[in-house]
Amino acid sequence: MTPALPSLRQRAEAEASPLPPLLARAERLAGSVLLGDHGRRRSGLGDDFWQYRPAQPGDSKRMLDHRRSARGDTQFVREREWQIAQSVLLWVDQGASMHFASKKTLPEKADRARLLALAIAILLVRGGERVGLTGTTLPPRRGNAQILRLAEHFAQNDERDYAPPEHRALIPHARALFISDFLGDADEVETALTKAADRGIRGVLMQVLDPDEEAFPYRGRTIFESVGGSVQHETLKANDLRERYLARLAERRDRLETLCRSTGWRLGIHHTGESAQSALLWLFRAMEGTAG
Amino acid sequence: MMTIAGIGFTYPWLLAGLLLLPLLWLLLRAIPPAPLRRAFPAVTLLLGLKDDESVSDRTPWWLLLLRMLAVAAAIVGLAGPVLNPTQTDNRSDRPLLLLLDGSWAGATQWSETLETAETILEDAARKGRSVAIQQVTRPQEIQFRAARAWQGELAGLQPTPWQATPDMVQDAIGFVAQAERDFDTLWFSDTLDYDNRDALLETLASRGELTVHQNAEPRLALLPAEFQDGAILLKALRSAAPAEQELTLQAHGRDPGGTERVLATVSGRFDPEETMTELKLSLPAELRARVSRFTIAGQNSAGSVALTDDTLSRREIALIAGRENREGLELLSSLHYLRQALAPTTELLEGSVGDLLPANPDVVVLADIAQLSSTETDAILDWVDAGGLLLRFAGPRLAASDISRQEEDPLMPVRLRSGGRSVGGAMSWGAPKTLAPFQEGSPFFGLNVPDDVSVRSQVVAQPDPTLSDRVIASLGDGTPLVTRKTVGSGQVVLFHVTANAEWSNLPLSGLFVEMLERLAISTSDRMTQPEELQGTTWKPATVLNGFGTPSPAGTLHGVSGESLISDALGPNLRPGLYQNEQRRLARNVVTLGAELTPIVWPASVTVVGGLQNTERPLGGPLLALCLLLLVADIFASLALTGRLGVARLSTPALALLLMFGAGDVQAQTTESELSAASELVLAYVLTGDPSVDDISRAGLQGLSDTLFFRTSVEPAAPMGVDLERDDIALFPFLYWPISTAQPQPSGQAYAKLNTYLRSGGMILFDTRDANIAGYGAASPTGRKLQQLARPLDIPPLEPVPQDHVLTRAFYLLQDFPGRHHGGALWVEAAPPDAELAEGMPFRNLNDGVTPVVIGGNDWAAAWATGPDGRALVPVGRGFAGERQRELAYRFGVNLIMHVLTGNYKSDQVHVPALLDRLGQ
Repeated sequence: MTPALPSLRQRAEAEASPLPPLLARAERLAGSVLLGDHGRRRSGLGDDFWQYRPAQPGDSKRMLDHRRSARGDTQFVREREWQIAQSVLLWVDQGASMHFASKKTLPEKADRARLLALAIAILLVRGGERVGLTGTTLPPRRGNAQILRLAEHFAQNDERDYAPPEHRALIPHARALFISDFLGDADEVETALTKAADRGIRGVLMQVLDPDEEAFPYRGRTIFESVGGSVQHETLKANDLRERYLARLAERRDRLETLCRSTGWRLGIHHTGESAQSALLWLFRAMEGTAG
Repeated sequence: MMTIAGIGFTYPWLLAGLLLLPLLWLLLRAIPPAPLRRAFPAVTLLLGLKDDESVSDRTPWWLLLLRMLAVAAAIVGLAGPVLNPTQTDNRSDRPLLLLLDGSWAGATQWSETLETAETILEDAARKGRSVAIQQVTRPQEIQFRAARAWQGELAGLQPTPWQATPDMVQDAIGFVAQAERDFDTLWFSDTLDYDNRDALLETLASRGELTVHQNAEPRLALLPAEFQDGAILLKALRSAAPAEQELTLQAHGRDPGGTERVLATVSGRFDPEETMTELKLSLPAELRARVSRFTIAGQNSAGSVALTDDTLSRREIALIAGRENREGLELLSSLHYLRQALAPTTELLEGSVGDLLPANPDVVVLADIAQLSSTETDAILDWVDAGGLLLRFAGPRLAASDISRQEEDPLMPVRLRSGGRSVGGAMSWGAPKTLAPFQEGSPFFGLNVPDDVSVRSQVVAQPDPTLSDRVIASLGDGTPLVTRKTVGSGQVVLFHVTANAEWSNLPLSGLFVEMLERLAISTSDRMTQPEELQGTTWKPATVLNGFGTPSPAGTLHGVSGESLISDALGPNLRPGLYQNEQRRLARNVVTLGAELTPIVWPASVTVVGGLQNTERPLGGPLLALCLLLLVADIFASLALTGRLGVARLSTPALALLLMFGAGDVQAQTTESELSAASELVLAYVLTGDPSVDDISRAGLQGLSDTLFFRTSVEPAAPMGVDLERDDIALFPFLYWPISTAQPQPSGQAYAKLNTYLRSGGMILFDTRDANIAGYGAASPTGRKLQQLARPLDIPPLEPVPQDHVLTRAFYLLQDFPGRHHGGALWVEAAPPDAELAEGMPFRNLNDGVTPVVIGGNDWAAAWATGPDGRALVPVGRGFAGERQRELAYRFGVNLIMHVLTGNYKSDQVHVPALLDRLGQ
């Protein structure tokens, strides 16, 4: 037996291994939101009765129509009419800069970003929307299978240090969610956002940062380098840089804010030290708000 | 050697390195600490930011200082600093004689003496002077040799445990006079005076310059310990009385584990102007017998050691008599005269064999005891084998018994004829017999036989080939009176008469006491009188060296008793412990009445007092300091660069901990014992058959659960008990399934079990055979039960009566099924005088819980539940079977209730009376 085979198999296993946990965590996270905020009963968006269909394996119990089901032995699901299904485009920064956690107890930024993206995707798919990725790799589709595909895509990493937002093949009038630390080139973001706005796309920018990136608690002579190692900066007195670093961070955030305001997007900040659930709640509301 | 501020330097030019320090300061200041690499995604935001200062984070001044100090310490350390360098202005080049007193009095300061001698040898070697070394206590011919040659031999010099005798000094003077050339002398004095010292001094002074080195500290010595008024009296001497002085005495000996250790300490002090102090040490007899020597703490000379011997260790004698049921008849007690004879000089213990043997007495006296149990016989035999002395007295019971009749009993010196004989009674022909004079070879030889001692009755030895060897005292007609045989390293002695005045008036006479003394049963202080030791020869067992360390005597020859007491110590009579046959005598360095006289040197002699100004190289400590500073620097640097996290600290901290030694290791109590002691635990006996043990454990688990659910008894998980190893006293209840696979427990295990049963424990024996055997030997487990239970202390048994507490301790039961049904259950029999209580269906029984319950219904199998709570073993059929299991559980609950609450339910007999009193 050639050694290539087991190693390929091993790598494939290793690649596949983050999938189920990520999916499971995302499902759980999404479930917690549904508990508090039942359904999307808004007038005007496919609220009308469409049909009863027999329940199939995989339908959640809460989807059963008990009034109809109680009449016979078969269980029915009441499907609503959906006319204006939205397409939601996700972009999650897969760059190396996202693979950073200042402490062992904290998750990496990429991990949190994927979790949030997948959880919101689950919620949206349950709500009947079509979810996909920006670019041509995974166009928006409905159904649970799409969640699996998304999870699969999220498991891939980008070798580059700072990945620019993907803004090709944007579907007009869709909604979009960009999750990144937005520490790369701000011009790229601006390009993507203006392009999206040109096509009538509105959405949410979610900036995921590590607590240390917000606090800059460093001292002494230090060489800072990016996770991929492409960018370096040496200082003799890191604590002296703090003020100016924080000013620059605020400046960057201000720029994103301005950009969002001019394009009708919304900007969310999330730190990996905080709970993912609150971020998801905010995100869910924000996505609803940008709809229509 | 160059000297700066009292410190000499071997390589002074190295100190020039100190000039480099300022340069180093500048260099270290200019170089910032090494940068730390850190992954940081937001580095993009930092790009282009400039540092405010070009040389910003300097090394802080204190860190610089630390490093400077480290470097300076290294430089100075390598330059070879020496404190108190010897300033030798003595230009003499004559040979040098190092004269050492070399007695025990200098042993404590011996290492200092040798150090000084070494410095002097070093100096002499530099100057090329030849040297000779002479020890007054070991005089030898004076040979001048190169100083280097002596350096190797210096370490071989040892102080002697004796002082210089006049003969030795005379020899030394002779050798000095024989020296060919004139020489200078350095005299290392021990500060204690001795005879002929002045003559030696004059001889030396006539040959050259004389300097005396001495450490003026007072010498301490310990006199032999005495026993006075129940306490040990210890007297310490000192050679000079400058001021008040504290001292601590230690008693050394073996602990029960056989390890040599300090058994007791006592502190005291010399009053100012006093050269003697007395300390009293009160020790229990057991401990006192273990003390082998007393020492003065902090002194290691032979004079500060007082060896103990028989005069101090009062022997422990266990007196054991047959049943003493004649209360008040003190004079007829078989032990009375023994007590009177032995009490003044020995420690008496009284009790039973089992209680007294563990105390390891020197002598066991059995007064008219015929039958001993097999375990007791074995125990005594082992004890005698190990050197014990068993002293037996005859009496009516011994005469009536069959002991040593056909075959010689191991604990009897001779075989006995049945019945004994009486002479001189009202109905007999002869007159009472008197004692024959003691033969040579008998331990009593030499004792005077009073005429009025007569014997009226005795037990008579069977004539045997060995009899004549064993007789050590006989009556006038030749019948043995006292016989003796050796067993291992001990002996068994039989007095053929009683220990009281019933059969003879021997115990009333002084001869009796003297005989006991000769048998080394009692001791007296007459032993230290020279006339008492006339003609005896003593073999050294342990001797002391000059430092007071005891060591085996090896092949040293014996000494006669008189010289042991009175001769001066020397190579032929070393201080130590001497012994002959049974007795031990200590010869100490300082004997009673001795005094420590300090030397008074004539004014013409130069005396260098104290040896404290020895050279002390400082290089080592300085280099160590340098290393420590560098270690501190590592930590400081880490802390400065923020790399000193908790996780990173752990490794070096661990290393430091290892360097400076870890903490104590705590004594450990086993987990299971702890939990058994803190909670109620049902226990079962491990039989060695895994299937039986598993069922027992599951059964007790099921019973524990049942108790937990139904009653306020809340047991923890059951435990298996290994009878050999575990402490069963922690468990109120033991379930003992009988398995033919179980090995017979050892004697200790049975002793433990008997104690357990006596102190309120209960054992449920389960033969698991449905009782088909009816406790005969018909079933294998029945036979096994008989075998296992034979050594147990089990009271009379009866089948559970209808009114036994077990039938109503919690549930009302008349049947006690397990997996099997029917079959009697046996418990301790009710006392024959139990009466039916008035108005109650049960009797007024005595207190206490039955120590054993014996049955064969295989209860554990009926109780057994798995981890999921389901029964493991089927019982009966269908519902009837479940009913039977329920009854089995009820029996279990009743049993545990009976164990825990005793006869509490039995108290209900009083209910009518109580109700009556309450006016109901």
